[in-house]
Amino acid sequence: METFINPKSLFHLLLLPCLLLYSSIAYNSSPVEAAMHTNNWAVLVCTSRFWFNYRHMANTLSLYRTVKRLGIPDERIILMLADDMACNTRNKYPAQVFNNENHRLNLYGDNVEVDYRGYEVTVENFLRVLTGRHETAVPRSKRLLSDEGSHILLYMTGHGGDEFLKFQDSEELQSHDLADAVKQMKEKHRFKELLIMVDTCQAATLFNQLQSPGVLAIGSSMKGENSYSHHLDSDVGVSVVDRFTYYTLAFFERLNIYDNASLSSLFSSYNPSLLMSTAYYRKDLYKRRLEEVPVTNFFGSVMETIHTDAAYKALSRRNSGRFEDEMSLDQSVHHIERRMLIKVNDGYEIHDINPEGEEGASKCPWSTFRNKFQKAENVDSLVNYGLVAMIPLLVISTWLVQ
Amino acid sequence: MAEISEAPDSDSSKLFGSDSKAPQRPDSEPEFDPKLMRKTKPGLKRLFLTFSVLFSFLLGFPFLWKSVEIYRSPLPFREIDSLSTQLRSDTLLFPLHFHALFVGFDSDPDRLRWSILSEITKLTSQNPKCSDNYTLSVTVDLGSRCLRGRTSSPHSSSYQCGSVTGGDFVQNDDVAVDERLASVFGGKNNEYSMAVVKGVSERAVVGKYRHAWMVVGDGSDVEMAVVKVAEVLIKVFINGGREEGLIRNEFMPVGADGKIVLSFNLLNADPHDWVYDWDFEKIDDTLLTPMIEALGPVANISVESQVLYHTPKASFSYWNQKLESYVFSTKDLPFFVNSNEWHLDTSIAAGGRSKILQFAVYVPSAKECPLLLQLPNGEISKTNGFISPMWGGVIVWNPQGCLRDSEFKPSAKNIIPIQQDLENMFEVFIGQFRQLFGFKSLNVYTGASGDWNLLPSERGFTEWELDVLSRQHTCFNLHSCATTLGSLSRLVQSLPRMIIKDEIGKQVKLSLEAAKLALSNASSGVYESSAASSSQARSLAEDAFFHPSIMSVSYYSFEHCFAVYSPFFLPVSMHVVLAALRELRRYKQEKAKYLAWKAKANTAT
Repeated sequence: METFINPKSLFHLLLLPCLLLYSSIAYNSSPVEAAMHTNNWAVLVCTSRFWFNYRHMANTLSLYRTVKRLGIPDERIILMLADDMACNTRNKYPAQVFNNENHRLNLYGDNVEVDYRGYEVTVENFLRVLTGRHETAVPRSKRLLSDEGSHILLYMTGHGGDEFLKFQDSEELQSHDLADAVKQMKEKHRFKELLIMVDTCQAATLFNQLQSPGVLAIGSSMKGENSYSHHLDSDVGVSVVDRFTYYTLAFFERLNIYDNASLSSLFSSYNPSLLMSTAYYRKDLYKRRLEEVPVTNFFGSVMETIHTDAAYKALSRRNSGRFEDEMSLDQSVHHIERRMLIKVNDGYEIHDINPEGEEGASKCPWSTFRNKFQKAENVDSLVNYGLVAMIPLLVISTWLVQ
Repeated sequence: MAEISEAPDSDSSKLFGSDSKAPQRPDSEPEFDPKLMRKTKPGLKRLFLTFSVLFSFLLGFPFLWKSVEIYRSPLPFREIDSLSTQLRSDTLLFPLHFHALFVGFDSDPDRLRWSILSEITKLTSQNPKCSDNYTLSVTVDLGSRCLRGRTSSPHSSSYQCGSVTGGDFVQNDDVAVDERLASVFGGKNNEYSMAVVKGVSERAVVGKYRHAWMVVGDGSDVEMAVVKVAEVLIKVFINGGREEGLIRNEFMPVGADGKIVLSFNLLNADPHDWVYDWDFEKIDDTLLTPMIEALGPVANISVESQVLYHTPKASFSYWNQKLESYVFSTKDLPFFVNSNEWHLDTSIAAGGRSKILQFAVYVPSAKECPLLLQLPNGEISKTNGFISPMWGGVIVWNPQGCLRDSEFKPSAKNIIPIQQDLENMFEVFIGQFRQLFGFKSLNVYTGASGDWNLLPSERGFTEWELDVLSRQHTCFNLHSCATTLGSLSRLVQSLPRMIIKDEIGKQVKLSLEAAKLALSNASSGVYESSAASSSQARSLAEDAFFHPSIMSVSYYSFEHCFAVYSPFFLPVSMHVVLAALRELRRYKQEKAKYLAWKAKANTAT
């Protein structure tokens, strides 16, 4: 009897993990097809304004020119600049912005299309661009119209710090906001791969909280380090370019649209002694090997093309005499109707029933007061105790948020 | 024991207030300690006053709480979850009926049916998302009588014996045969027919409607025919001529709001050489409009056109002496579109979420004329055109004046002649449009067991191709709608302090209704309306998800509320509460004193 049971139980023991393995394989083999890489987008953000931040605008414009030269068209670039340098009254060279003291290249010369300028560069607009939640009236040129096959280059420069980036000297973008926006982009399949380049002080802290797969991020300096400008243009009077961007541009000067230098060569071209900071990059969320990814996957634009084999020949059978017919009145009326612009469908709009609610009230910690009250004798000291009791409340609530 | 009488010694207490300062009495009562006793009952007025203030605060608290409540429109989370699970678990099933007709064969219909089914199961791939639920019925027409299989659909039983004979297929006019078979079979929405006939010349054609036919020679056996029948049923009628079942996402260029804008551009590379114009309106009316109407259930398409000048291309070409023309290869195609100079993105008709497909005709300059595309195998392309998925297509058109310089007037404005060139060009455009939707522009399907001729249709897409598109787009739209609504519900639930406007709730409800309608239509086989409803469901779900009010920076976190309200309420409430507590404690003390005095007085008496 025992010998009969043992092989059977052994068989069952072996069967169970096999079944588990098989079911797991069957489950995993459901095809998750990766989308084809269809286009490239670039979002270039300069978060500073005022004359002494000339170099940030020069950084962004230099990268804009590079990306355009390598093939990304204006319709797929979102450029956000404060744009107060070229026509600044302190600019000795009006309508000209340089990124080098030899003044060889005028970055503001021709064909610069700024999508968000001046005070439109806010954290809210930036997050709206990333997540795609615009008002209906925002034109297409100001939207990031990427799809699941897009590679997006996101370049940000300005003044930053530990887990934040300062926008226009009045607000901040925090690292968890950026991570949240990227997470929502990934959920909605707004990108296939995303490369984030940040050129600020303590840049690497800005992408600490990223969790979404398919994101590659490089910052110009690590936590506790500053990023420095490259050189001062004594003619213009301010520093004209930052080190990280300068060496990035030097790398791309050698390339044209046909080249296939890899991302790892770009990342290893940064020399910490020349940068005076450590360019740190984060590739744990990025599945491909950096040696195999050409930089034109993000910085240039290489379209996937398919040849058209044949024309669709049905139409040659039609009467060619039809073309000589005059357009009848009905046809012309129908024609005009079809040429009307698409109207917005507002059939289901509803007005807000309630006004936007105000914020919720706070709760008084009744028990701490009561405890303190019962212990104390003197009324005045009681009041002091009460005031002091508010401080732990504040501390607790801020700790809870973090 | 001791009676606590209510008789107040109020006169003396009122005279001296409710202080614990007792008057100087002679020591008639034993051990009256003013600090520990009092003679009168303590009054309740002070207590009442302070507590009334406190209670008014407490009474107002619910009103305050309600007034600062964040308005969140209630979203139907359960229904969203049920839609997702419904789509995930029972895969979307489209019902299809196949009818195979064998003319001139002497076989048992049930055996034929069984062998066709076994071939079909070999070819069907596992399609996790959307699959098709097909039924097959076989009829053998022996001329005088018909043998019908045991299982027959109402479609197959409507077939009249003897209406299809071998003589119908003698002439080689596929269109006429197609029309004849259409009148026989009917071709309603989800019923596909296949006729296998014994005849002289071998031919295999798929018609414009929902049937196909095959003429086999006399000597061939029925097994070969069975294999070919199974192949055309699965690969052509279900998969649309592609290998895999589902269209990949890059071949579904429909925008999130269900609209596509086709933007046709005529690019003159160098206007100094020649300038070309076209009569777009005419060709739009005659060639494009039927196609746009045919695709109505799948997408809402609009058309615009423009003519551009000074638009050189970005890639290079070299002179080929043998062909006497400039040649560019397929390796240059990715760099052909010069996005800096070709300002194609000037559409004003497209909304934020529509998809724009660019179709460009490139007229090269005299320095590069004629410009031909060379394929990797060395041949010259017949169409001179290519597409880029999700972007559009380009055709290079060489003007007549290329080779014969002498007769040509370069400065006059020329129109592309309609009959010869513009028609051909637009046929290529329609081929490219089909390619962008995942179909081939060739009219031949090369299968494992032979070639099939695909008859083209004037509308750009045949009926069965439109069915394939409707099914695939319904599947894609419903899954996209479910994932979008799921993401929205997760997002809304993760931010409990975010305002959800009524509009969002309404859009979600309408989207769920449209999705239910699409599901019911799909399971009953009405493809067109299910495609339209699914597209509407998807666009409503996207509208709800991308509503501009869902921004994480524009809702107020808890510490913000605390920081706003605490300077108002905390000090005031603290003082009120402290006052109430103080009064309560004082009342208790006074009461204790009074009771102590009462007890003392009672023990003394």
